[in-house]
Amino acid sequence: MAVGLEQEVKNEAFVAGFDEAASRALAGESAVPALRELREVRFAEYRAVPLPTRRMEEWRRTDPARFPFERMKRLPTIPRGACAPHAWDDLFDVIVSVEDGAFDIRDRSGVLEGGQVLVAPLEQALREHADRVKPFLEKRARAEAPDKFEALGDAFWNAGFFIHVAPGVELERGVLLRYRQSGAGGILIPRVIVAVGERSRAVLVESMESPDGVELMSVVSREFHVAEGAKLQSTTLRAWGDRTVHLAGDWARLSRDARLEWITLNFGGRLTKVRFGSDGAEPGANAELDGLYFASGEQHVDQKTLQVHSSPDTYSRLLYKGVAKDKAHSVYQGQIVARPGAIRVDAYQRNNNLVLNDGARADSMPGLQIDADDLKCSHGSTVGNLDEDELFYLRCRGIDEASARKALIRGFFEDVAGRIPHECVREVVHSQVDAKIG
Amino acid sequence: MSAKTADFEIRNLCASVEGKPILQGVSLKINKGENHALMGPNGSGKSTLANVIMGHPAYEVTGGDILFHGQNIVELEPEERARLGLFLAFQYPVAIPGVTVAKFLKTAVDAVRGVQNVKPAEFMKELRENSEYLEVDKAFLNRFMNDGFSGGEKKRMEILQMLMLKPGIAIMDETDSGLDIDALKIVSKGVNRLVGPAFGLLVITHYERILNYIKPDHLHILMQGRVVLSGGPELVKELEQKGYDWVREKFGEEVLVV
Repeated sequence: MAVGLEQEVKNEAFVAGFDEAASRALAGESAVPALRELREVRFAEYRAVPLPTRRMEEWRRTDPARFPFERMKRLPTIPRGACAPHAWDDLFDVIVSVEDGAFDIRDRSGVLEGGQVLVAPLEQALREHADRVKPFLEKRARAEAPDKFEALGDAFWNAGFFIHVAPGVELERGVLLRYRQSGAGGILIPRVIVAVGERSRAVLVESMESPDGVELMSVVSREFHVAEGAKLQSTTLRAWGDRTVHLAGDWARLSRDARLEWITLNFGGRLTKVRFGSDGAEPGANAELDGLYFASGEQHVDQKTLQVHSSPDTYSRLLYKGVAKDKAHSVYQGQIVARPGAIRVDAYQRNNNLVLNDGARADSMPGLQIDADDLKCSHGSTVGNLDEDELFYLRCRGIDEASARKALIRGFFEDVAGRIPHECVREVVHSQVDAKIG
Repeated sequence: MSAKTADFEIRNLCASVEGKPILQGVSLKINKGENHALMGPNGSGKSTLANVIMGHPAYEVTGGDILFHGQNIVELEPEERARLGLFLAFQYPVAIPGVTVAKFLKTAVDAVRGVQNVKPAEFMKELRENSEYLEVDKAFLNRFMNDGFSGGEKKRMEILQMLMLKPGIAIMDETDSGLDIDALKIVSKGVNRLVGPAFGLLVITHYERILNYIKPDHLHILMQGRVVLSGGPELVKELEQKGYDWVREKFGEEVLVV
């Protein structure tokens, strides 16, 4: 009885620091009525979502109370300002940098000039391009109701961006979104809406970093809309410092014959809880989802993936591979969801884990939720240490044990790493892996 | 005990796996320039011997010595043995996902010869040349090592590695098992390329077929963890004259399976 009461009280509570006054303060920072309105609507949605508890299956292995909101402070809306150039800038058409309390958008190849491609802060998009952004605020990419933290991101974002690619455009080199935060105690809340128009192609790389030793937080919420016949190639690199706490909720909605290639790379951070989903919302949609993670030291990484098939004749393939070392704990929860009527769905989900020592732990929970007939779904997972026979084989060729272990761990990642379209990202993955192997 | 130390010598070697004794005093001498064949029935300890020679961590040496160039290597790590010039062609080569054949070989050659002694261009030339010699398609070099390879392709990979690493002493553990006659000929052709004064060979086999292609000058019969018959060219000659049936009659049906 007492437990039930406590639960009820908690459900009505706000995340520490994110209450009605905070929402009003944030809305007051903008003179754009549409934005103030949007904040209000999203706050109402956020208010209605209960706080997660450890009793929920998704939060059983990651206590929501571990997210130190009460020790952190909400940052005001990030203003435009100068950001340092980066070695990767030349490789992309447009670079969005969010760096220590300022953001900057640089158009390296002039793609923004013709108006076919729009990359703008959400506030500016609402003010100047309401017709382009509004449809994607009304129609959500999410196939499921948001959890409290996703709803928080929707309502309280302080770095919001809208990326829109008009129909029939090939944005070849694409957009780099780079978040670099170094100030202690702040909560960076990026919100990104990406809309790729009919038959368009777009490339998106997001890189998230912070220095080691600085306690800070980031809460990211993103929605990708891939229109009919369009293709989005997205890479998400999380290389946060060792005391950063990270929450993310990402969704991609795929229209007819749309294709999504999404690679998620989770390496940094002290405590990470991410969930992302793809929704094959119309026939012919195709989601290729790959992920790598390497948890070392005392890292805790919890990942939930959702492959939703709302429509018949949709396809999804997911391969998620991770290593746990030292005292780290990784969690993978996967769900293939075939909605009623989603016949002839073809879905595949696989999660493989290497656990390198006794103190490390990897939990793997693949899952299916099928409400349709006549479909092909398969899932599987493995958890184990390096193969002794493979080690011996390499050592018999003169390769010392440490190098052999390194080669096998690198090799374990290589099928996914080989699919990363950008050499520069691949290099970061290799150096992160090497550093973590030690 | 003979005065001259052989290039490679096993003295009274005893080894067990999970507490179960397998090798019970194996003695064997191999000099460079010699081709030895080791035969014996299933369970006689042939593969155990191969693994123990390379230092497989699952096997415990409970007695005896393995001398390579006079140095006792029993305590050495597998990689140290490989760098001294020992090579094992595996009976069941494992796949190494994520590591291409070319990358694997470069790493191995760097480790064995010393990275400062390997010029990338020369390595590539050597790799191309040896691959062509073994009729290995170029496309294989960019595939992950043994990943999805057929039995014959895996065995050919073992020989390609051997050609690249140029060992002083090589042990071939039932390399011939499961090979068709064409694959066997290619494998033998590869091995014979190394045969010469700088190379000593121990062919472990169950079948005499491979010995038609890799001519031994010494023969050993292993039974129940011991070498029960050992001889040089005169024994090989005797065998050639009397046929392998003679061994079979002497040591029982199970020694050889044809």
